[in-house]
Amino acid sequence: MRFQYLFEQALSNLRRNVLVVFAAVVAVLVMLTLVFGTIVVRWSIDQDIGRWDDNVRVIAFLGDDLSLDEITALQTEISGWDEVSSVVYFSKSEALDEFRDLFKDQQALIDVVEEDPSVLPASLRIAPNEAAEYSAITDRLVVIPGIREVSAADEAIDALVSRSARLRTFAAWIVIVLGAAAVVLIANTIRIAIFARRDEIGIMKLVGAGNWFVRIPFLLEGLIEGVIGAALAVALVWAVAGSIAELFSTAATTGVLDVPESFLFRQALLVLGFGAGTGLLGSAFGMWGFLRD
Amino acid sequence: MIRLQDVAKVYDGGSVAVRDVTLDISKGEFVFLVGPSGSGKSTLIRLMLRQELPSDGVIWVAGKEITSMPGWKVPLLRRSIGTVFQDFKLLPNKTVHENVAFALEVIGRPKHVIRAQVPQVLKLVGLAAKADRLPNQLSGGEQQRVSIARAFVNRPLILLADEPTGNLDPATSIGIMRLLDRINRTGTTVVMATHDHAIVDAMRRRVVALERGRVVRDQSRGAYEQGTPPTGEFETIEG
Repeated sequence: MRFQYLFEQALSNLRRNVLVVFAAVVAVLVMLTLVFGTIVVRWSIDQDIGRWDDNVRVIAFLGDDLSLDEITALQTEISGWDEVSSVVYFSKSEALDEFRDLFKDQQALIDVVEEDPSVLPASLRIAPNEAAEYSAITDRLVVIPGIREVSAADEAIDALVSRSARLRTFAAWIVIVLGAAAVVLIANTIRIAIFARRDEIGIMKLVGAGNWFVRIPFLLEGLIEGVIGAALAVALVWAVAGSIAELFSTAATTGVLDVPESFLFRQALLVLGFGAGTGLLGSAFGMWGFLRD
Repeated sequence: MIRLQDVAKVYDGGSVAVRDVTLDISKGEFVFLVGPSGSGKSTLIRLMLRQELPSDGVIWVAGKEITSMPGWKVPLLRRSIGTVFQDFKLLPNKTVHENVAFALEVIGRPKHVIRAQVPQVLKLVGLAAKADRLPNQLSGGEQQRVSIARAFVNRPLILLADEPTGNLDPATSIGIMRLLDRINRTGTTVVMATHDHAIVDAMRRRVVALERGRVVRDQSRGAYEQGTPPTGEFETIEG
């Protein structure tokens, strides 16, 4: 009964100032839509990064005329280099399997490759001891006859990693700037609610209402504003998550990417928690110095 | 019941509201705090309610030392004190019944207690028939009765009244004083700040006179001015 009473007080506070509450909710909504959207975009970029094997930074594509013995000799030689930590042989059929897996939703591409297997050569996948050594390895590989082409993944990966890092910075700034705005707007709604109820609060304190009994409706008010804004943001981003991911993906695929629901669900919980925290923080700021005994 | 020892209150900026006040009020007493505006009457009331802390000295209320009491205990202290003010402090959008019930709701009294106690106390103040009115449908005297009902509904040990008749005409004031007297007779300690000469002279209770923050007179069965003869209205008020 007491919780119901406190909750009703919070709801009546919200109803009393629909317009300022709306502004606060929209601030939370905008902030968390951008945050959640950024999370999805980063997921998409991380998928791209994941395409590259963990440590393989240099791929030496082999000429079709090399025999298996020659390849093994080459592999042994390269393994002996100081800069190299491991060398893995990747046959034509393995390359085809990988290709089928990567582009499983694009049968047309797979058809092309199956028609002409020479477009997917066998390769040696070389992991350097240190990422920065890839260029030294590349320099030594290109002069070896029988190696058709050398591809260093570093630049591509570096570009993706730095994109991912820039996004993280972007999200952090959103949180700081819009988060501060949301907190201030929520605090504002709380102040207005406190002001509207100041006589009531004065009497409550005179007759001995507990401090938390006075504060909880205002905390709930901020919490509700934060959670509503977050819930709207979650609904919005969830609905278009696939399209967002596709928009920022560098993969050759076209069409909507299938962002796993379990991933979205975990991130949505995080976003909701963040909205709740923003609401409570706003309430705390709004009450600051107003609801002391 | 209430004890102030060497209490001083100096506001920021140096204005002294109360100084060197030592005062003992026993259980069941009826005490008038009298004096001109700015003599420190209201400050003493606020200090006893712990709406303010003294700059110096110690205050005990209802057996508790309230000057060093942590903030979270203050609500419990206030539940043992009823308060009545010159401006009634009623909530305009609540009925008479709701205004009184509010005081019990916010300290978490169960509904059945509220249902039983509110009509009882409204009957005591003579407003049982007007329970469903809003405050602005009542006269000033009736509004003050509602605020007394609210102060008393929780059966406090102490009733603090700050100029309760300040906004009322003399005839209405007498009615309010009868009510406070009745409450006092139930054993409730009543402390009332006032500058209403007629009432103090008629009631002849303990008078603590303040001047510029100091107690200048503390007299049992006193008058507003020292040496004033009884006005003979005592019986009128005692009813």
